[in-house]
Amino acid sequence: MPLSAYLIMSAILFSIGVVGVLIRRSPLVIFMSIELMLNAVNLSFVAFSKFLDTADGQMFVFLVLTVAAAEVVVGLAIIVSIFRTRRTIDVDEMNALRG
Amino acid sequence: MTSTLVIQISFFVLAIASTASALGVIIFKNAVHSALSLILTLLFLALFYLQLGAMFIAIVQILIYAGAIMVLFLFVVTMLAPDASESEVRDPLRWQRIIAGVLGVALVGALSYLLFTGVATQSIVTTAGVNSLSHMVDTRGNIEAFGLALFHGFAFPFEVTSLLIVVAILGALVFGRRT
Repeated sequence: MPLSAYLIMSAILFSIGVVGVLIRRSPLVIFMSIELMLNAVNLSFVAFSKFLDTADGQMFVFLVLTVAAAEVVVGLAIIVSIFRTRRTIDVDEMNALRG
Repeated sequence: MTSTLVIQISFFVLAIASTASALGVIIFKNAVHSALSLILTLLFLALFYLQLGAMFIAIVQILIYAGAIMVLFLFVVTMLAPDASESEVRDPLRWQRIIAGVLGVALVGALSYLLFTGVATQSIVTTAGVNSLSHMVDTRGNIEAFGLALFHGFAFPFEVTSLLIVVAILGALVFGRRT
């Protein structure tokens, strides 16, 4: 398969993630869409690593994976603490900086 | 010749399956179903990585992403919203979804157009000789090639990730503390 096939696959997955962030109201599903976008970028990194015949792309995937894990830990902690104070997790309800 | 055909068929099957499961993430009303669909997408992406010869990344994808991160997601989803069906009736911004769909299709089109007309992907310069990934994989094996590249060129970023993880743990502790 040519490189552009993988890149277009990555573009499709990334756009699905963007649309998910735009249309959903639950912060959990918005987080899942962000994970989808990160994974789409990972796919293009691995494809570039294969077609440039160097391991650098896989290193970046490794680092993105670590950042994604840290982001999920902090983000879910923020969502849980918002749920504790507001008893709701609809993003339309979150319109005050100090709750 | 037959192996190219097999690769092409498996690519298209994987492409359709992963696109469908990724659409499931944003279409399913129940957040648990979205999480399960995302796990399916991550497993299909691991198969893509296997097809591209990145064995270690594929295994790590299954272990860390589909295993650890998504289990954390499912914990929080089932804890916060066991019957989380988003209220469709009182959605004040319904037009936003239509615009988002149109913009998403436009984004796919724009990205694909740029990929086809921007940089000539056919004439990319590949690394040759003993430093190339394929040579390392042939002589030393897949995991060794990954580890050598990680600790020779990327040792400092690798060490910095440990700082990132410590900061993330501290942040989760601060947010999770009952005040």
